[in-house]
Amino acid sequence: MKLPDSIWGVWSVWRRYFSVFVKSIGYYLVTTFVEPLLYLFAFGVGVGSLIGTLQDGGVHLSYRRFIFSGIIAQTLLFQGFYEGSYGAFVRMYYQRIFQSIAITPITLSDVLWGELIWDASKATLAAEVVALIGVISGEFPLMSLLTLLPLCFSASLLFSAMGLAAAAYSRSIDELSYPQYLLVFPMFLFCGVFYPVEDLPRALQTVAWIFPLTSVNSLVRTLTIGLPFQSWAVAILLVWLLVLVVLARRAMTRRLVK
Amino acid sequence: MSRTEEDAGKQTTANGLSPLRVVHLTKRYHQRSGSDLEAVSDVSFEVAAGECFGLLGPNGSGKTTTIKCISGFYPPSEGAVFVGGYNVHARPKLARQFLGLCDQEETLDSDFNVLDQLIRHASYFRIPSSVARERAQVLLEQFGLVEKAREPIESLSGGLKRRLQVARALISDPLVLVLDEPTTGLDPDVRRMVWEVLMQARSRGVAVLLSTHYMEEAQRLCDRAAILHKGRILDIASPARLVEKYIAREIVEEEVRPGVIWRREPNLEDVYLKLTGSRLGVDGL
Repeated sequence: MKLPDSIWGVWSVWRRYFSVFVKSIGYYLVTTFVEPLLYLFAFGVGVGSLIGTLQDGGVHLSYRRFIFSGIIAQTLLFQGFYEGSYGAFVRMYYQRIFQSIAITPITLSDVLWGELIWDASKATLAAEVVALIGVISGEFPLMSLLTLLPLCFSASLLFSAMGLAAAAYSRSIDELSYPQYLLVFPMFLFCGVFYPVEDLPRALQTVAWIFPLTSVNSLVRTLTIGLPFQSWAVAILLVWLLVLVVLARRAMTRRLVK
Repeated sequence: MSRTEEDAGKQTTANGLSPLRVVHLTKRYHQRSGSDLEAVSDVSFEVAAGECFGLLGPNGSGKTTTIKCISGFYPPSEGAVFVGGYNVHARPKLARQFLGLCDQEETLDSDFNVLDQLIRHASYFRIPSSVARERAQVLLEQFGLVEKAREPIESLSGGLKRRLQVARALISDPLVLVLDEPTTGLDPDVRRMVWEVLMQARSRGVAVLLSTHYMEEAQRLCDRAAILHKGRILDIASPARLVEKYIAREIVEEEVRPGVIWRREPNLEDVYLKLTGSRLGVDGL
C-alpha cells in the first residue's frame, strides 16, 4: 500500500471536505442522522415491543439493546459506502475535484487518502451519534463512546473503500446500484444487524462471517453491550480493510491516470 | 528537427535552464484491444521565462496528452518534463509548486463560490489565505468577475466559468502557466480579456504554454509555436518564420465564396493547413 506523500496534502484535502460539510451542516444533519434514527425508532420501539428479549453468544438481552448496537454497524456500512461510492463518483466524474486538486502540489495519491479518510470520518461521526443516543437512553456505558472510536473508524474506512472501489469500476452512476443491491443490502439483512447470526442455518452462518459487517457487528456488541469478544472478527476486519483500501486506490488511480 | 533561436525576450532561470522543459516526451496509452496507441512521440521543446509558446494542432494531435504529462497527471512512457528545474513526474510536489494549469475541461469545484474557489485553490499551494484573498481580488478585477465574487459556480455562464478557471491557474503566481485551449467557445471580447491577462503574465516573466487551434490567437500571442500532428512536432519557430518558411508567396488568394476572391498576406493558418491539412489528404483520413 502506498503511504501518503505528505500528511499536509491529505490534511488539505480533508479540510476541503470538512469546510463543505460545515457550510451545509443542516443538510448533512438531516441526511446523515435521520436514517439511523428512523431505524432505531422503528425497530427499537416497534419490533422491540414484539420480541422483548433474545439470546446472543449465550447472553440474554433486550431486543432494544441488541438493535441499538446493530444500528451502529448499519450506520458505518451505509454512511461509509454511500460517501465512498455515490459521493466520490460525483466528485470524480461530475465535479472533477480529484483532477483539479491533483495538478497542484498535492498528488492524486494524497487526494485519494484525503477522500477515504474524510468518508471514514463522516461515517464515524454518524455512528458515534447513534452510540451517544444509546448512552443517553442508558443502553451503553459512557466509556463505549471512546472505545468504539478506533473500531468505528476502521470499519468506516473499510466500507468507504468498498464504495470508492465501486465508484472506480462503475461507468455511470446508475451502475453503483449493483454493489448496493448485491453487496450492501444483503450484508445489512444477513450480517447480524437485526438478529443474531447464530440463529441462521450453519451454512449461512459461515457465509455471513465471510462478509465484514458480521465482524463489525460482533465487535460493536462486545464494546457496547459486553457480548463475548471474538478474535477472528478482528482478523476478518483487518484483512478486508487492507484489501479494500489497496483495491480502491489502485482502481481509482487506474481509472483516472492513463 | 530545426529550432530557431531568433526570438526576443528569451530569458532563463537562475540555473540557466528554462522554467519549462519537455524532453523527448513519448506517451503511449494501453488500449483494451491490447495494442498501444502512441499519442505523443518524442516531443521536445522548452519555454523560456517571459516567452509565450504555442502548441498548435488539430484535435487528436496530442496537445492535451502533452499537457497532461506536463501537469504530472499522466506519467510519461519515455522522456521527462521539468518544471522549475524539477522532474514533474518524479518530484510532483516540488515541480507543481511552480505550475499554474488551466485544463480544457471544466474542473471548477462547484462546492465553492467564485471567490472561495480561488482561495481554496491557493491553499493547495500552501498560500496563506490573507495573501490568497489579496491576489484573488486582483484577479477578479482583471477578469471582470468582481460582481460575481459571491456567486455559486452553477450560476455562471460558460464564458465566466472559463475566465474563472484561467484566473484560478494564476492564483499561485506560477513560474510556468499552461493553458489547454483557454479561449475555445469564448466571445471575442472575453477572448481579448484573456489574451491581455496572458500577455501581462508573460511580461512579468512567466513562461506561458498555450495550446490552441485558433491560428489568429497563436499568431498574435506566441513568440514561438510548435506545430503538432499525430503526436509529432513538425516544426518549431516564430509564427513569422513559419509563414516565411512554408508559404513562399507574399500574397495568398482565397476563394471565400464562388466568384469572390480575397487577396491577403499569408498567415499562420496557411502554414497550419499546409502542414497538417495536406497530410490528412495524403494519409487518406
